[in-house]
Amino acid sequence: MIFKIEDVTVYFPYDNIYPEQYEYMVELKRTLDAKGHCLLEMPTGTGKTIALLSLITSYRLSRPDSPIKLVYCTRTVHEMEKTLAELKVLHDYQVLHLGTQAKILAIGLSSRKNLCVNTKVLAAENRDSVDAACRKRTASWVRALSTEKPNIELCDYFENYEKAAENALLPPGVYTLEDLRAFGNNRGWCPYFLARHMVQFANVIVYSYQYLLDPKVAGIISKELQKESVVVFDEAHNIDNVCIEALSVSVRRVTLEGANRNLNKMKHEIDRFKATDAGRLRAEYNRLVEGLALRGDLSGGDQWLANPALPHDILKEAVPGNIRRAEHFVHVLRRLLQYLGVRLDTENVEKESPVSFVSSLNSQAGIEQKTLKFCYDRLQSLMLTLEITDTDEFLPIQTVCDFATLVGTYARGFSIIIEPYDERMPHIPDPILQLSCHDASLAIKPVFDRFQSVVITSGTLSPIDLYPRLLSFTPVVSRSFKMSMTRDCICPMVLTRGSDQLPVSTKFDMRSDPGVVRNYGKLLVEMVSIVPDGVVCFFVSYSYMDGIIATWNETGILKEIVQQKLVFIETQDVVETTLALDNYRRACDCGRGAVFFSVARGKVAEGIDFDRHYGRVVVMYGVPFQYTLSKILLARLEYLRDTFQIKEGDFLTFDALRQAAQCVGRVIRSKADYGMMIFADKRYSRHDKRSKLPGWILSHLRDAHLNLSTDMAIHNAREFLRKMAQPYDKTGTMGRKTLLTQEDLEKMAETGVQDMAY
Amino acid sequence: MSNQRKRLTGEREDEDDEDAEGIGEWERAYVDDRSWEELQEDESGLLRPIDNSAIYHAQYRRRLRMLSAAAAGTRIQKGLIRYLYIVIDFSRAAAEMDFRPSRIAVMAKHIEAFIREFFDQNPLSQIGLVSIKNGVAHTLTDLGGSPETHIKALMGKLEALGDSSLQNALELVNEHLSQVPSYGHREVLILYSALCTCDPGDIMETIQKCKKSKLRCSVIGLSAEMFICKHLCQETGGLYSVAVDEVHLKDLLLEHAPPPPAIAEFAIANLIKMGFPQRAAEGSMAICSCHKEVKIGAGYMCPRCKARVCDLPTECTICGLTLVSSPHLARSYHHLFPIAPFDEVPAFSSLNDSRRTLGKSCFGCQQSLIGTGNKPGPCVTCRKCKHYFCLDCDIYIHESLHNCPGCESIHRPKSVSLMEE
Repeated sequence: MIFKIEDVTVYFPYDNIYPEQYEYMVELKRTLDAKGHCLLEMPTGTGKTIALLSLITSYRLSRPDSPIKLVYCTRTVHEMEKTLAELKVLHDYQVLHLGTQAKILAIGLSSRKNLCVNTKVLAAENRDSVDAACRKRTASWVRALSTEKPNIELCDYFENYEKAAENALLPPGVYTLEDLRAFGNNRGWCPYFLARHMVQFANVIVYSYQYLLDPKVAGIISKELQKESVVVFDEAHNIDNVCIEALSVSVRRVTLEGANRNLNKMKHEIDRFKATDAGRLRAEYNRLVEGLALRGDLSGGDQWLANPALPHDILKEAVPGNIRRAEHFVHVLRRLLQYLGVRLDTENVEKESPVSFVSSLNSQAGIEQKTLKFCYDRLQSLMLTLEITDTDEFLPIQTVCDFATLVGTYARGFSIIIEPYDERMPHIPDPILQLSCHDASLAIKPVFDRFQSVVITSGTLSPIDLYPRLLSFTPVVSRSFKMSMTRDCICPMVLTRGSDQLPVSTKFDMRSDPGVVRNYGKLLVEMVSIVPDGVVCFFVSYSYMDGIIATWNETGILKEIVQQKLVFIETQDVVETTLALDNYRRACDCGRGAVFFSVARGKVAEGIDFDRHYGRVVVMYGVPFQYTLSKILLARLEYLRDTFQIKEGDFLTFDALRQAAQCVGRVIRSKADYGMMIFADKRYSRHDKRSKLPGWILSHLRDAHLNLSTDMAIHNAREFLRKMAQPYDKTGTMGRKTLLTQEDLEKMAETGVQDMAY
Repeated sequence: MSNQRKRLTGEREDEDDEDAEGIGEWERAYVDDRSWEELQEDESGLLRPIDNSAIYHAQYRRRLRMLSAAAAGTRIQKGLIRYLYIVIDFSRAAAEMDFRPSRIAVMAKHIEAFIREFFDQNPLSQIGLVSIKNGVAHTLTDLGGSPETHIKALMGKLEALGDSSLQNALELVNEHLSQVPSYGHREVLILYSALCTCDPGDIMETIQKCKKSKLRCSVIGLSAEMFICKHLCQETGGLYSVAVDEVHLKDLLLEHAPPPPAIAEFAIANLIKMGFPQRAAEGSMAICSCHKEVKIGAGYMCPRCKARVCDLPTECTICGLTLVSSPHLARSYHHLFPIAPFDEVPAFSSLNDSRRTLGKSCFGCQQSLIGTGNKPGPCVTCRKCKHYFCLDCDIYIHESLHNCPGCESIHRPKSVSLMEE
């Protein structure tokens, strides 16, 4: 359908539109007009992605004089593919109605592992080794060398791509990763380098968060994006954590040992070069004297290590004299490693600010701040000079230099925490030195500054006023949309008491109480006997889950559950979990029914959907607070309080509730779906906790369901499941119009959006 | 027909007799009515009666289905000769008490009513019973045309045990039904109270097998929607429904009584050999072929081999001829020419038009159509004769009578005047 939002003609590839999609587009359009940033919360299953894509591409078509570029960031490759598939439908529709002028170039960009077509490179098992295998075949010096020695293996795809040079272009269209690979195979061009090259020409780019937020990657991939871009962060409820992770480094003993090995190897190489090709080292030295700002000349096409610090924090000046010479630099690194090793040997937990860390480093190892700052750039230069291609082996030393640069650059918003052992397992020494970033706004600030509009959107962004404070920006629009539904297809319930009327909670003093454990167990036993197909349970942590399952096993509760449904458990091992999930789905498909035990904040809670019969009920056991004794969390809370005036309690609750909402939100992924959400903890009935849940859940949480005991919950569940099993009318009846046609929209444009029927 | 009446009016009473012994009189009223279940709390905490839209909804659905059938083609083919297996799930879940007194008792009661209704509407068809218990499917009765044998076999085995297995049941039924003649319609109606199925093999294969052998599988769930049941029904073209309460369960069951539209592959006309036996002379003595007992009088004689059978319709055990009586055929006939659904009359316009006098009372039962508060109650009108009917009569006419009194009386205007006097 084609309709107008103010002055923009929107091309929407479906015949009907949900009212909330229309509203979403209106708000988005206003953001684009204002050239500002926005926060939009809309529940999953309402077609957020297509609304976003169709508005932004239509906006672009209506402003031919100032074409905007869309940069769409997703969390996973799977989501990337889904987005591109939707864009394809949209693009076909637009081309059908507007002809060739609507043609755009849209590409997905991912790591080499996902894009490479060279079977020999792909044989490597993980991402880093694929990268290394690729570099081994494509680095400029390797290719230069191969002209002399023909037995060196090169990548044909890359060679062909290089041969085509300027002509290596993608014709307009929408390319998923699969399409890119097919195109690459067809032409014999390397899809990865082609895609990277096309980033500057593409109208729509879909890639992962890191490509924009992690300065190490963004410096290479995203630096040529124009200002007139709209950046979209989809599923962005955890964006602050992504930002923080991008600037945090942790060093373990293994890292130090690996780094030492790396240094030995480099030393060896340096010696070899000294003997054979001293001129190279000399040339490098000269270049460094002139300054790293000119390093663009040095690297040619081989940039692969960008500075971990943010672009505007990097000094554009010459490398300090004491590390210009390769062997001196290696010495400095050795001293740094020794110092870190000594610090790791501590018996106590230590917490330090970067300033004091740098000063003690200076006094004890004689490395000053400025030197630290340049570590990463110096390492990069050295590795290029030494022609090192197997970068995956050199990860440890990169981590250490990464750490050094960050600690040298930032004085605020970070802290260094050294823990001799994991708090939860005090008898196993596992020292770890962490440089943790507390300020999510640091990493995202360049994005906000650089691009015209940034759209942050997700199904769960509540409370929506906290995000601007955490990320320190001012949105022009921040709104939360509700879901219009033909029937009440979600049924959230707060369960506060067990069947014996005693309160249940995972509060620290109550969680190991046998009564609570039993009540939780009984709840599940009753649930599995009345709920068909899939049931998902989320626990607050792995250790809690292990404990409670062990107790259930002893008391025979697990046996009762197994009589009704098969039990699958998420573990920390990815392969095992994938297998468990796979079998869980099969058990649901064939009617046997299954329960999946999972952990909030785990992989399953973040990325796996339990839609339709794969999840009819989701039980959230407890409030998934972070581990509050964690030193990093405490440091971050302190920083948030001092800098942004966010109270500790507020932040903790916010974080716990967004995780809980994320967990229970897995159960419903479309309007035709239905599911129950049980919050099993007495703390959920308190207003300060409950009010932080997203609006679309709250609006279905009836007062009568706020303080239930197990038997009442069971009764409600029976009723709900029966009601939902009845056939229903998809389009909605007169009162609750949920599918709008073109006429409806035209009518609405006249009367205004406000009186839309929910 | 008498059955039908009972459903509409006197259902509560027979419940009293059956299972309310040992409860005080005052208690009984509450237990039977379960009046608290008909209340619900609204947003402001007030108690309100649940609107009985569920009943209207069922009617609405039936209407819709008929309408869509009428739209598909004026002469829809229907399978009048049906071979239906009823599978009853007597697994552990059937012992649950959410239906009073228990699921198993409620199921049995309504299946009994269904069997009678079924033979009433499909005199040429046959039923067999299968039960699932302890994960194994058992044949309770083989295909047959006598309601009494089925009901007796069913009532004798009321206990709930063990797991449930959909696959075993389907395999068993499929095996039984593979032997029926090709003109018959193979159907399974499964009453499933469990929420899972423990199968020995891949149930998907079994479903495909059923699909291949044109087995129409319908499931009525007793607690919640199960994916596998839905999948089964979708694949084989059956209906899947879940009962909300006892009344709804009964409605859902009875929806399966009229014959479904024929599957396209079966829609070829077939000639079937049938015998119309004569009733045996009073006082004549013979050994009946079905019970192997000596009987005096009563019974029918097969026109081909002269064997004696007790009930019609049936298949002669000696020569295998299908034995029916002509009223059976006649009764099956109405399915082919159903009365067109009546149009609903919009609530306010009805009494203001020129037919004011006609519209005041139902043409069927002569009850006033004016509801409480002098407002016009809901009513419907026949498209052909334009007479008004109340909702009760609407259901009665479409489900039991199969004649529109209005249209019939056009040909005999005298009877109208008689009635009006």
